[in-house]
Amino acid sequence: MAVLEMKRINIYALKSSRKKILELLQRRGVLEINSPKQAEDLFDRTDTEPARLTFEKNVQLLNSAVELLDQYAPPKKGLPSMLTGRTPITTKQYEETAQTAPEVTKIASRLMALGKKITDGQAEVLRLEAQIDALQPWLGLDISMRTIGTSSTSVFIGSFPEELTEEELKNRLAAALPEVSALEAEIISSRSQQTCVFLVCHAKYGMQVEIALRGMGFTYPAAPSKVSPAEREKNLRERIKAEQEEIDTAKKEIISYAEKRESLLFTADYFTMRAEKYRVLGELWQSPHVVQITGYVPAENAPPLQQELETAFHAYVELETPPPEEELPVKLKNNFFSSPVEGVVEGFSMPGKFERDPSMVMSICYYILFGMMLSDAAYGLLVVLACGFVLLKFKNIEESLRKSLRMFFFCGISTTFWGVMFGSYFGDAIPVIARTFFNTEITVEPLWFGPLDQPMRLMLFSFLLGIIHLFVGLGVQFYQLVKRRKFADALYDVVFWYFLVGGLILLLLSTDMFHDMMNLSFQLPALVGQISAVFAGIGAVGIILTAGRESKNPGKRLLKGLYGLYGVSSWLSDILSYSRLLALGLATGVIAQVFNQMGSMAGGGVIGAIFFTIVFVVGHVLNLAINLLGAYVHTNRLQYVEFFGKFYEGGGRKFAPFAANTKYFKITEEK
Amino acid sequence: MDINSFGIVFALTGAILASLMGGIGSAIGVSMTGRAAAGVLTDNPSLFGKVLILQLLPGTQGIYGLLIGFITLTQIGILGGSSDISAAKGLLYLAACLPMAVVGWISAFQQAKASVASIALVAKKPDQFGKAMILPAMVETYAVLALLISLLSVASIGGLNL
Repeated sequence: MAVLEMKRINIYALKSSRKKILELLQRRGVLEINSPKQAEDLFDRTDTEPARLTFEKNVQLLNSAVELLDQYAPPKKGLPSMLTGRTPITTKQYEETAQTAPEVTKIASRLMALGKKITDGQAEVLRLEAQIDALQPWLGLDISMRTIGTSSTSVFIGSFPEELTEEELKNRLAAALPEVSALEAEIISSRSQQTCVFLVCHAKYGMQVEIALRGMGFTYPAAPSKVSPAEREKNLRERIKAEQEEIDTAKKEIISYAEKRESLLFTADYFTMRAEKYRVLGELWQSPHVVQITGYVPAENAPPLQQELETAFHAYVELETPPPEEELPVKLKNNFFSSPVEGVVEGFSMPGKFERDPSMVMSICYYILFGMMLSDAAYGLLVVLACGFVLLKFKNIEESLRKSLRMFFFCGISTTFWGVMFGSYFGDAIPVIARTFFNTEITVEPLWFGPLDQPMRLMLFSFLLGIIHLFVGLGVQFYQLVKRRKFADALYDVVFWYFLVGGLILLLLSTDMFHDMMNLSFQLPALVGQISAVFAGIGAVGIILTAGRESKNPGKRLLKGLYGLYGVSSWLSDILSYSRLLALGLATGVIAQVFNQMGSMAGGGVIGAIFFTIVFVVGHVLNLAINLLGAYVHTNRLQYVEFFGKFYEGGGRKFAPFAANTKYFKITEEK
Repeated sequence: MDINSFGIVFALTGAILASLMGGIGSAIGVSMTGRAAAGVLTDNPSLFGKVLILQLLPGTQGIYGLLIGFITLTQIGILGGSSDISAAKGLLYLAACLPMAVVGWISAFQQAKASVASIALVAKKPDQFGKAMILPAMVETYAVLALLISLLSVASIGGLNL
């Protein structure tokens, strides 16, 4: 339940065993490499960058190959990988993966080549089809499109950019070439904006006709075929068929590699691990015969690691306690109940150097506040069941997901608790169903009180929870300061605020005005009010005198002190901020009621029941999803802003060990 | 014509405004964030879960608006019961709905802007999701406060002797 103690570790080993040692360290995943910036002249670094880049390129190649494979041979749809987790493999299987890696990489290259062949083939098919399209208007021509004539005739094959009938064409030709008598024109095809024609005339008029034709907008075809268009089309179709066959063979070959999918993925992971190993290797200082590995290791993992390295590799291992001023990486460790919220703490920031791990205190508050915001017994139960089911059924899910699920599991329990307290089960589903379908009146009595009946009461309770929450946060600050033996700061920054805020609240509770306004069932006696006023006064004076204690100048100090006292307004807004407990709690209940009422609008009977079921399921799923999101976001906010604001700054760096950051397998150690 | 016959008109106007403006604000907001989220997903589809949450953040105002609208409808007897409301009460309902209507509309729009920025943040640094989520949630505080005031007002107008 705390920030783990870190040890600095120095490993000196023979260079010959460096890779073995790194592999072991990677599998253990408990050491964060932290090489010094400089070393003695004897030591040098190896440039491992090219090797690392090669490995990373391999990872990419393998991943693209799998993507391609999935395109043609989709893997069986199973459970989402999130639930199944990474496949556990033994060290022996890992060795096998390492050995087959070059072979598998070759398969990946082959797959990529096939993929390229397919895309190229498809492009070629498209190109050929475009050519066939271009040939369509010419299919009526039964000679080569490149015919230009015989010894005594000139032939023109081409098109006009408009739609012409034979008559129009002949008229125009006659008008343009009155002196040319023997001119034969034939229209091959005609459509809007293109008329394809075949013209033949005596060779002596060739030049003249051509000039006249150009004047009329005549153009030769862009890609005339040597053989007749029909034959050309046949040739093209045959080529398309051949391309298609090649594409099909390539596809079949790709599909034949389907069972290699897993080894492809594993090999990708293998190369990821190697790339990481080489990155680390590049950071290490090495002499001709010795390698030095420096880093941080959690104190609890240090002795076993030391022993293992010393026995297996005859390395010299040195463990030392880092000096207090050193910035250490932070790793949190908490019990079953509190560890789920570590992620929330991490989302804010890891604890700074002198800070405690807030997870333990926060977890309790987190579950309570979350429950109040969702506050429906049935919703809570659903969340508990869903999280519990996944946690029990899927043992192999990743640790971070397991923690989140556990967090929602506990939040669900709290939600159920508050739901029972406030008498909400799918909103008011039970009375509505009873009234609509069974014509009986059932009222579900809340164990405590109904929020819609007494919203003010719930609001005051929310404020009370808020004050407790904030005071707990201030308490942690007190603990932290005392632990660092800063007793004066603890008095100035914590105790005075307790006096001031606590005194003001008690004073308020003893006034008639507040009593009448809130309809409180109790009122503190005036004497208590007077005593708490004195305490508030002490607190206020104390804050004015001490809040500016960094300044030497008395005038400046007083002004800073007054400004410090102004901080009481932030307490007010912090406390009022807890009214969201009421607002979100009511929102869940009221939206649930809306859906129940909508469902009951079709009345009783079979149709009514069907309608009700549909509206009920859709509505409540929607409501649960939206309010889960709302409760999650706003609980986080209350923790981050109001609670952490009182004692927690963060700024620590997360412990990032050298480990196997794989995606598809995890290596299990056989003992 | 009796001025009091307009009571129900005022009251219903309030209910409609709350759900109308909250809904419009949220629709605009979720659309803005949705477009930003889609852009991120083209690059990194694995961020779907995170950007979805950020997209939905400005969506709550519409729901709060619906909530206020619905409670008002039940209180003024539109959904059964007596709809005999004095003009004063009708105006009170209208006034009570206004915080949710106006703050809901504007805060959804503004929250969407913060959310879009947060989506850009998550695109670059997915591990900073916790912080990215809190920034737009700050804007929502004011929608929650407006919801609270509207809720308390609407719920207690019925008991007034007007």
